[in-house]
Amino acid sequence: MTPTAASPYDNTLQKPQRDWVLVALWATLVLVALIWVAPFVFIIFTSLKSNAAVMASSAFAPPVDPKFANYTGAWDRGRFNTTFFNSVIITVIKVPLGLFLSSMAAYAFAKIPFTGRKMLLLVILFGTMIPFQVMLAPLFTLVNRLHLIDTYPGVILPYLAFGIPYQVFILQSFFRGIPKELSEAARIDGASHFTIFRRIFLPVSLPVLAALLILDFVSTWNEFAMALVLLQDRDMWTLPLGLSAFQGQFSRDYGQLNAAIVMTVLPAAIVYLIFQRYFVSGLTSGAVKG
Amino acid sequence: MTSRSLFSDQRTQAAMLIAPAFIIYVLFAIYPMVDVVALSFQRWNGLDAHKEFVGLNNYVDIFTKDPVFWGAFRNTVIWTILSTIFPPLVGLMLALGVNQPIFGRNGLRAIFYLPVIIAPIAVATMWRWMYDPFFGLFGQVLTSLGLQTWIQDWLGNRNIALYSAFVAYLWQTVGFSMVLFLAGLQGVSKTLIEAARIDGAGRWRVFRHVTFPALKPTITIVLVLAIISSLKAFDIIYGLTGGGPAQSTQMLALWAFTQSMQIFDFGRGSAISVVLLLITLCVVIPYLRWTRNSEETEQ
Amino acid sequence: MRLITKTLRTGTMLAALAMGTAASAEDITLWTLNFSSEASNAAMQKIASDFEAANPGVNVEIVTRGVDDHKTALRVAAGSDRGPDIFFSWAGLGLGGEYIKAGLSLPLDKYYAQYKWDEELVPAAASFSKIYEGGRQGVPFTFKGEALYYNKALFTQAGITEAPKTYDELVAAAEKLKAAGIPAITFGGTVNWHLMRLMDVILESKCGIEKHDALMNMKTSWKTEPCAAASFTELDRWSKNYILSPFMGIDNAQSFNLFVGGRAAMMLEGDWLVQQLAEAGNLDDYDVFPVPTGTNRLYGFAEYHYISSKSKNPDTAAKFLDYFMSTPVQQASLGQFSTTSINKNVTYKDLRPLDQKWVDIFNTYTQVYMNGDQAFPLDVTTEYFRVINEVASGNMAAADAGGQLQAFIDNRR
Repeated sequence: MTPTAASPYDNTLQKPQRDWVLVALWATLVLVALIWVAPFVFIIFTSLKSNAAVMASSAFAPPVDPKFANYTGAWDRGRFNTTFFNSVIITVIKVPLGLFLSSMAAYAFAKIPFTGRKMLLLVILFGTMIPFQVMLAPLFTLVNRLHLIDTYPGVILPYLAFGIPYQVFILQSFFRGIPKELSEAARIDGASHFTIFRRIFLPVSLPVLAALLILDFVSTWNEFAMALVLLQDRDMWTLPLGLSAFQGQFSRDYGQLNAAIVMTVLPAAIVYLIFQRYFVSGLTSGAVKG
Repeated sequence: MTSRSLFSDQRTQAAMLIAPAFIIYVLFAIYPMVDVVALSFQRWNGLDAHKEFVGLNNYVDIFTKDPVFWGAFRNTVIWTILSTIFPPLVGLMLALGVNQPIFGRNGLRAIFYLPVIIAPIAVATMWRWMYDPFFGLFGQVLTSLGLQTWIQDWLGNRNIALYSAFVAYLWQTVGFSMVLFLAGLQGVSKTLIEAARIDGAGRWRVFRHVTFPALKPTITIVLVLAIISSLKAFDIIYGLTGGGPAQSTQMLALWAFTQSMQIFDFGRGSAISVVLLLITLCVVIPYLRWTRNSEETEQ
Repeated sequence: MRLITKTLRTGTMLAALAMGTAASAEDITLWTLNFSSEASNAAMQKIASDFEAANPGVNVEIVTRGVDDHKTALRVAAGSDRGPDIFFSWAGLGLGGEYIKAGLSLPLDKYYAQYKWDEELVPAAASFSKIYEGGRQGVPFTFKGEALYYNKALFTQAGITEAPKTYDELVAAAEKLKAAGIPAITFGGTVNWHLMRLMDVILESKCGIEKHDALMNMKTSWKTEPCAAASFTELDRWSKNYILSPFMGIDNAQSFNLFVGGRAAMMLEGDWLVQQLAEAGNLDDYDVFPVPTGTNRLYGFAEYHYISSKSKNPDTAAKFLDYFMSTPVQQASLGQFSTTSINKNVTYKDLRPLDQKWVDIFNTYTQVYMNGDQAFPLDVTTEYFRVINEVASGNMAAADAGGQLQAFIDNRR
């Protein structure tokens, strides 16, 4: 496996003969990639070993007698039934709802001229930068005052609040790029903005929405700090909370701990591998060009 | 329909479209931010019915009487500096690398990005296990290389614990910078590169004089994002060290949480939050100015 | 299907919360921690349903949570008018004391007299109810002792023939182990309370009863009291010489694995470790002895049930607690919540040797000194942890440690 010669459509150096700099570069990158993958291999191997095997065998020795019972054991002890279910409910409600609200607002920001638009948009943009980690305590007291601690709305509403700014910002810059002609005609026909938004803008922005959906899925699925504060009852815990508690309680069972890690990480990893290209387009459409 | 009523109609429609998102945002994101400032002037343990106004006492306490605050402040600064340098730098190098016409570049790209999508708390759990001084990955690798003496108490030695945690953070975040740089590289003019190459410029000169200048806006964004996300570092420290040993890896975000939600001193916790908020504003406001200016020049 | 049940349950929960105090006059809610085993859970539920059967119209609900959730849930409840009738907490000025100071606990002098609880409770366990101002607070739920477990084979290998009787003998034993190339003891540094146990027992050894208690009650200066400095010096010595190293980067569970793996000779743990040892290794390989502090007090702590000052039915709550602590109930649930009962009339038989050893230990001691994190208020505990860890990791001179802790205490508002 040697590096292929530069393909003609590529924007980088093209030389007819084998390019040794590229060979060296390739070798380096592969080495780095191996290092990058090593933790996963180590975790998966450990997840299939018994405690005795962990203490006796080398880290990268494949498990001789794979102990799949670690997975079922960790599933039960870690109460993955509950945490998985809660994560799914929260994500399935939050992500589409958030995107819908954001795209509505983004449309208005992009296509309806009104005074104070710039100011409001700045307030929103401000929200993309503020670390919610700063506000855990007041969030807790607020949600507590609303009697929403340990409820789905109690965690979904703050999730929405901290997801909206980023999505509004990306979507409004995308909507602004949509040619005027598309909506002007409809407006002349007397269609309201609601109709234009629903009939014209939502369909054309499906690719961006898909990208944002995937990104938001991952970040909602992975969220830890807010859930830690807002979900006190373990029947309401999400996967990350369950994993953290598992580590605290059962860390002496190395195999099960690593099985729990694998099971927590897997859904997001699968989603990533399936929708890989959306990640890149989603990130770049927002952060770089926005 | 007069233009005036049309305008007001437009306004109503805009308001209706924006309102749901905006109300949730203001109530659950802006209000807590105001509240944290208010709480920072009060004394409250979460139990008493009444909060007592104490002026600047909480600030005086954290600045002069809290044995951990300045350490957490220092760690936050170190962490921010490190994460402004390394993830973007490594990310840029990887992006330049996988942007070359080499075998398996898509696979490499996917591998480098994979850690980004993993929950930070899971990353912390993974790395905590890898750092296990007795059975962990690093100990074993070093032993098999015959370097037993290099084995450290990675997370238990206060001189290296913060950096051990940072390595895990680096592993997780490099992919993010890389993807942003890759996107930026697509915007580098191919004709310019060609022209430079025809003029006989070597790789380094092409990078220095063509690629790098074209990447400047991307670099700004990557750096700002790196700074902001580093100030948010919470999950990874919480999961890896919990601020230990002896609070030596404590950070402002986690220390604010600890004061408020574990010691239940909401006043002090909020004062620490406000300090972190102010630091964040020092980065955010200039950046917002910059984007607004560049937006205006665009229009 | 699950979704529906779950939604229904959440709905019911919300409705219940909304109704809150409107609930029937015969409802008792008890908030406690998750039980470590299904058997304990079942035992608790059985006690509740038996009580319901004996008292028609009374409904007892048991709500269990993890440690941190439980603490936060109590805060949440404190800010509103809903909450439990009975709540679990540790005894001591730290965790339990905080709620009592905030007026969440109902003084129980009346019920102590009415039900004559002192006549059936183990004195050491009941003693904690008297440490607060303004009356007796709470009743004992369990009482746990902590002592030194040791690996018999490793002790023999190091030439130690009998369990140390004094602190100096303990150090001598540690020295012998060290000479034989065996780390004497193992701790996990990431959970701060584990290493704290060593400091607690050293403090008891070096200071004696009065000074120890004065220090823990923050009545004597840690800075000027010589025994405090001497204790930190000892802690430094242990961490440099006798603790299996590295220990700051591992947790208590990992240190237990190392103990079971024979990597260290001793472990300072509670009576609950017997069960864990039975599951992980061979009980015959281990033995246990109280930390020889020379003060004739046992290291341990009590878990208590407090009646909430907001309870609408304190009389029924007290009646339930009386039932819970009664001899037949305690006898029937023996071993489910802890090795020994807080009821002194309970009899023990067919115990594993190590459990028998614990019963003997509990019978030997009438006085207790408790864990630092139960004794101190939360913020001081955090600082106590920090100072201990700084000394143990060699970053703070033992001589300065007391001063640092005292400075923090002096700075409290």
